[in-house]
Amino acid sequence: MATYKVDERDVHFNIFEYLNIKELTAYDKYKDQNEELYKMILNEGLKFALSEFDPLYVAGDREECHMKDGVVIVPKGYKEAYAKFAENGFVGIDTPPTYGGQGLPCMINTATMEFFTGSNVPLLLYAGLSRGVANILEAFGSPELCQAFCANLYNGKWSGTMCLTEPQAGSAVGDIRTSAKKNADGTYTITGNKLFITGGDQNLTENIIHTVLARVEGDAPGTKGISLFLVPKIWVKPDGTLGERNDVNCVNVEHKMGIKASATCTLNFGEEGKCRGFLIGEQSRGMKMMFQMMNEARLMCGVQGEALAATAYENALAYAKERIQGANTAIINYPNVRRELALCKAWVEGMRGLLYLTGKSIDLAHGHPDDTIKEKAKNRVELLTPICKAYCSDVGFKITEMALQIYGGYGYVSEYPIEQYMRDVKIASIYEGANGIQALDLMGRKLASKAGQLFREFYEDLTQFVASQEGNTELKNEISALKKAIDTVAQVAMKIAEWGMSGEKTKPMLSANYFLELTGHTTLAYILLDQARVAQAAISNGSKDSFYRNKIRTARFFVAHVLPMVQMRAKNILSEDLSSIEMEF
Amino acid sequence: MKIAVLVKQVPDTETKIVINANKNGIDESNIKYIVSPYDEYAIEEAIKIGGETTVISMGPDRCIESIRTALAMGIQKAIHIDTQGKSYDSYQTAAALAKVIKDGGFDLVLTGKQGIDYDNGQVTQMAAELSGASQVMVIDKLTINGDKAKVERRIAGGSKEVYESGFPLFLGCEKGLNTPRYASLPGIMKAKSKPIEKKSADELLGGATALVEFTNFELPPERAAGKRIEGEPPQQAAQLVKLLREEAKVI
Repeated sequence: MATYKVDERDVHFNIFEYLNIKELTAYDKYKDQNEELYKMILNEGLKFALSEFDPLYVAGDREECHMKDGVVIVPKGYKEAYAKFAENGFVGIDTPPTYGGQGLPCMINTATMEFFTGSNVPLLLYAGLSRGVANILEAFGSPELCQAFCANLYNGKWSGTMCLTEPQAGSAVGDIRTSAKKNADGTYTITGNKLFITGGDQNLTENIIHTVLARVEGDAPGTKGISLFLVPKIWVKPDGTLGERNDVNCVNVEHKMGIKASATCTLNFGEEGKCRGFLIGEQSRGMKMMFQMMNEARLMCGVQGEALAATAYENALAYAKERIQGANTAIINYPNVRRELALCKAWVEGMRGLLYLTGKSIDLAHGHPDDTIKEKAKNRVELLTPICKAYCSDVGFKITEMALQIYGGYGYVSEYPIEQYMRDVKIASIYEGANGIQALDLMGRKLASKAGQLFREFYEDLTQFVASQEGNTELKNEISALKKAIDTVAQVAMKIAEWGMSGEKTKPMLSANYFLELTGHTTLAYILLDQARVAQAAISNGSKDSFYRNKIRTARFFVAHVLPMVQMRAKNILSEDLSSIEMEF
Repeated sequence: MKIAVLVKQVPDTETKIVINANKNGIDESNIKYIVSPYDEYAIEEAIKIGGETTVISMGPDRCIESIRTALAMGIQKAIHIDTQGKSYDSYQTAAALAKVIKDGGFDLVLTGKQGIDYDNGQVTQMAAELSGASQVMVIDKLTINGDKAKVERRIAGGSKEVYESGFPLFLGCEKGLNTPRYASLPGIMKAKSKPIEKKSADELLGGATALVEFTNFELPPERAAGKRIEGEPPQQAAQLVKLLREEAKVI
């Protein structure tokens, strides 16, 4: 049963009109590329998602991963689909071409990842981690490690994992106990247990390359003393062929609420004291390296939230047009259903804009010739990453729930895909740093970073946008509502800074989630209004395409129905209410 | 062996068709175009056979996108017959293609069994006739042995026809012949710089005029609402027969 649906027009609008990807082709890094090429890649990506990923989506959920004779077995068809996916070059769309990446813009990667994630997120996760491991080696590993591992991670022969969590160390990653001891031959002996490892074991690929956080014996406690190791499941001989089994074993595969076709494993390293690995980069620099991979993974969580929300919305929309209730009327004609659909649409389009815009900032940070612009783009990515991750996964879940509601009782039964979308999106707010951690990252780290420069630049850009729209009579009220929201964000940020200076710790922590939420609403309103501006230009250039008219309506709707929540969350924060702390539970 | 693959760019099957103001065609704005799905079997077959492969497509500039898709899948060369904003009927299309195919000295010409837009299913046969070649349509198996090709096509009742033919030969490909590959990302990157030879449709035709003119397009009538028959099964059956006889007039 085909379930995946996406508004391809909106994807193309973002890439080619709103964010004008053509700009990138003026830079050295992308000079051999053009819009026609990008279009073809988007087309092939979507085609692949629809014909190879989507058909396995529901069946994989029902079959789940299971263990047999000590090996995790993935659902039927996943192995073949993964091989084809890698063969076609989709694992490293925007990584360097040296070992098998494609060197395309992150914007294109983000759009194609929306297709793959939306059509089969558990299957895509295996690829996401493989790419992450290859990319971390390319950035920090020795040439020997790259030579030995990267190509096979890209071509799908092997896959990767990221092993952080331990039973006693989740959000508090500094508490890990996995240890490493240097051997005479330069390798390290690794001992410890890791939990919730995505793709930790599977029968998709002939080898699995784990990246493992561990502490070299004698190194500092906490995150400072953590190093990063590469631990292959099967040892790779100098000639590249597979050798003996490494001492790493999967002891359990979890049964979960969603992403059931993704193997979530418990791994034991060194049960017999024979687990060996290589140090990646410098000793005690593990967290910094893992964070590169983590930041990418966080953006992908945002994409997961948005992509599943988008397909849930498109499915609910199609259903609302078909479902007749009362007086021979399709339910889409009832105002309440229309309002719910509009909420889904506005939020999905806003999130898509946010994620692709962040993708473009990554491209500018890598490829722009001007160092000031590069630096600013880099700052923007840092600021927006926790918002992409937490806002899009939280709102994404909310939208799948709203979409399910439109189906009524049929949404609750598993005959329709909608309940699976809701189950599969939930994990995005938990893994790769729970959303509470993201909120603390935004407030504690990003807001204060470089003496507030990240936030200041962002504030200035939004203020400038408002100023540039002074003559926009059609959206006059919406622009002034945005201005009010921006001022509120600034006012709250000042309060937080004040707390920071006076040493107040509790109030900022109580406010962090609200702060992320209100910043997210404001950012989305800005993006949707900026998109409306592009639409207005297209209309005044004579376009009769109703898509543009709808863009303006979407922005207006969002400003009327979502943006006011900025004021509410600001009120929550500024009330400085401490009753949850005083409450006796 | 020199192989040509004829490719047509058509609206995606999910396109919502809007008829243009003059009612002599469709409104082409906001349409997503794809390679006609049956042509993908032809492309795949050509790549599998190997030798010197060329994709030929006739249409406006936008069909270069489809040509690039064929190149990205693995076809080596490309010819674009530019229609420069004019439209041509099946006969003219066949005549222009036949000229290019004869000039190019192709041994084997593979196409889809029909384009999925107008579903005329005429161009391949006419082009074969005009270039003096043999042709077999709707084939789902092909084996080449030296200077002979053996092809199979399904016919009614689960039987099949088997043909043996020499070259030059035109074949219209049907689903089941193979599984078309995807255009891989490395393939797409390589295809972007491959040269595409351009020819003018007008020049190739040398004045050949159209035999068919499109005068009026209409969308099919909207499906009427269904009728629900209530009651116990015997009454329902009786009512159904009555309706089939008196309203639908099919029995």
